[in-house]
Amino acid sequence: MATKEETLASEKRRKTIMSVVLAVICVIYVLPVVAVVINSFKLNTFVKTDTFALPTSESFAGWDNFVNGMTFGNYPFWKSALYSVIITVSSTFLILLCCSMAAWYIARVNSKFCKVVYFLCVFSMVVPFQMVMFTLSKTADTLDLNTPWTIPIVYLGFGAGLAIFMFVGFVKSIPLEIEEAAAIDGCGPVRTFFCVVLPMLKPTLISVGILEIMWVWNDYLLPYLVLDINEYRTIPIHIQYLKGSYGTVDLGATMALILMSIIPVIIFYLACQKHIIKGVAAGAVKG
Amino acid sequence: MAEVSFKHIKKVYPNNERKSRKGRGAKAERPANVTDEGVLVVKDFNLDVADREFIVLVGPSGCGKSTTLRMIAGLEDITAGEIAIGGKVVNDIAPKDRDIAMVFQSYALYPHMSVYENMAFPLKLRKLPKDEIDRKVREAAETLGITEYLDRKPKALSGGQRQRVAIGRAIVREPKVLLMDEPLSNLDAKLRNQMRAEIIKLRQKIDTTFIYVTHDQTEAMTLGDRIVIMKDGIAQQIGTPHEVFDHPANLFVAGFIGVPQMNFFDADLVRTGDSYVVRLGGFEVAPSEEKQGNLRAKGVGSQKVTLGVRPEHITLATPDMPSLTGTVDVSEMMGSSVHLHMSSLGQDVVAVVNTMDATDPTVAHRHNVGESVNYAFSGNAIHLFDKQSGTNLEF
Repeated sequence: MATKEETLASEKRRKTIMSVVLAVICVIYVLPVVAVVINSFKLNTFVKTDTFALPTSESFAGWDNFVNGMTFGNYPFWKSALYSVIITVSSTFLILLCCSMAAWYIARVNSKFCKVVYFLCVFSMVVPFQMVMFTLSKTADTLDLNTPWTIPIVYLGFGAGLAIFMFVGFVKSIPLEIEEAAAIDGCGPVRTFFCVVLPMLKPTLISVGILEIMWVWNDYLLPYLVLDINEYRTIPIHIQYLKGSYGTVDLGATMALILMSIIPVIIFYLACQKHIIKGVAAGAVKG
Repeated sequence: MAEVSFKHIKKVYPNNERKSRKGRGAKAERPANVTDEGVLVVKDFNLDVADREFIVLVGPSGCGKSTTLRMIAGLEDITAGEIAIGGKVVNDIAPKDRDIAMVFQSYALYPHMSVYENMAFPLKLRKLPKDEIDRKVREAAETLGITEYLDRKPKALSGGQRQRVAIGRAIVREPKVLLMDEPLSNLDAKLRNQMRAEIIKLRQKIDTTFIYVTHDQTEAMTLGDRIVIMKDGIAQQIGTPHEVFDHPANLFVAGFIGVPQMNFFDADLVRTGDSYVVRLGGFEVAPSEEKQGNLRAKGVGSQKVTLGVRPEHITLATPDMPSLTGTVDVSEMMGSSVHLHMSSLGQDVVAVVNTMDATDPTVAHRHNVGESVNYAFSGNAIHLFDKQSGTNLEF
């Protein structure tokens, strides 16, 4: 039989091995981001040859890549950034508002219709975008949903599945008595939702909000297929257009713009990290 | 401040709806009330509650008491019948327009609002001026002793404090009718006793009609002006605490009201001319004159009956007195009294023996398990029930 010391030693060994394995996995995950950061400060020629090397006095490009990236071509970068912000904010707002209301109705009204809607929402999560993208972009064109002001409606349709699924799980965990108390206190359904239910949904609102913001902000394919590219570009599309003639790409400038586009999301994620974990758990535990 | 009247109230849950109501599944498993229509939860309920009366609906789980209360609140539809508050039929009026307030078992406070905001919320919705809201909230908080917690969120309060806030939110509006749905059930025993006393005090301070639902007969007896005892959706008896305790209408009421529960024996009621005597196991007891008069008036003849005797009305006897014999199974020391659980006449019999009465030599004696004990009861303390229907023969 193993002595106490032996057990402790093997436990310690096991922990050390686990730490090493996890550290390696972390490095693998972080490596692409590190590569982007390093290369955004390197001259274009060095990006291809010494991809993982730190910038040297020879290869260091300073802020040139950022300036080049933003001034490249005839489409201003600030416009892409503005459209990205508009689309992300309005889509997320629309998804949060409409899906929380729909989820409240689905969770509280016990009808066959609600069950069908709920199952459709859950089902929509397993349908890959690629399967519907051409019919969707055609439909969006027909319905004039191809501008930054109307594309949030397409995002609402696509984001509703996950959002409703998460909201329904959370609404079900809210005791019905609270809403009944509100009804007796003098609230109609609209006021009950906005004064009582919505504030209680805060953790889920934040976690769904983060997920949707990350998705919409980084999304390339949907705006590329739906929007009129000559007129409206988002940041991911703008980066794609950094290609010069004959297929030459300014990789340094590309890296610089990628870095600029991920920084807001990373800051936002770090700021709300506490809530996303709490929110996901809050929605998932009771369903 | 209003009277509430129930006329032939009936509530049926369609079968599918009933099954789907989560958290109330216990009721759904009762097949006795299932009809083609659905599950019959409340059946022909009639009651007139006077202005400022304190009515308690009491009964076991699934008896329809909470459903009845929720129908007054407007949280449940009424299948048939009429509910009127202050003379106005409210069947089709929304909960917010009924001028009622309700206290829930689970407190149902708004978790994102402070205590002050919780209490001010119904007043804000009624668009009262700010200074008036402030005055009313502070008054109610003062009454309930929660002034110091006004800035806290509900999660920072204990169960008792939360229930006070819930009561505060209800009384701050000065509703016509105050509904309470098992408000003390979530509290521990000590706090429950304390809150019960506070509800009695509160009742003296505010002029409103109270309708209170509980499954605890002690709460019912101590709080109510009148008690409605319900079973399977039917009001079994409506009366003052004294009436239901001293003159239970049937076996269910007799068994439900009183702790420990009433003892029931199979006995023979023998009528000889105009006088009655009850016989069981060689022991005879004559009902009191008043009871005999009631039996005569009802024309009750000799028959087999169920005899009910409350444990506190059983007295210990010496072997030379006419008495019944039992063997002590369990002796529970309760402080001022001892509950003796005995086997007698092939069943369990419980007697409450007062330990403070030192003049009674039989009490001073400790009763050991397995010991034989003689006991008796007087003709004043007995209740006679019909063997088949279970109704009180005097009624």
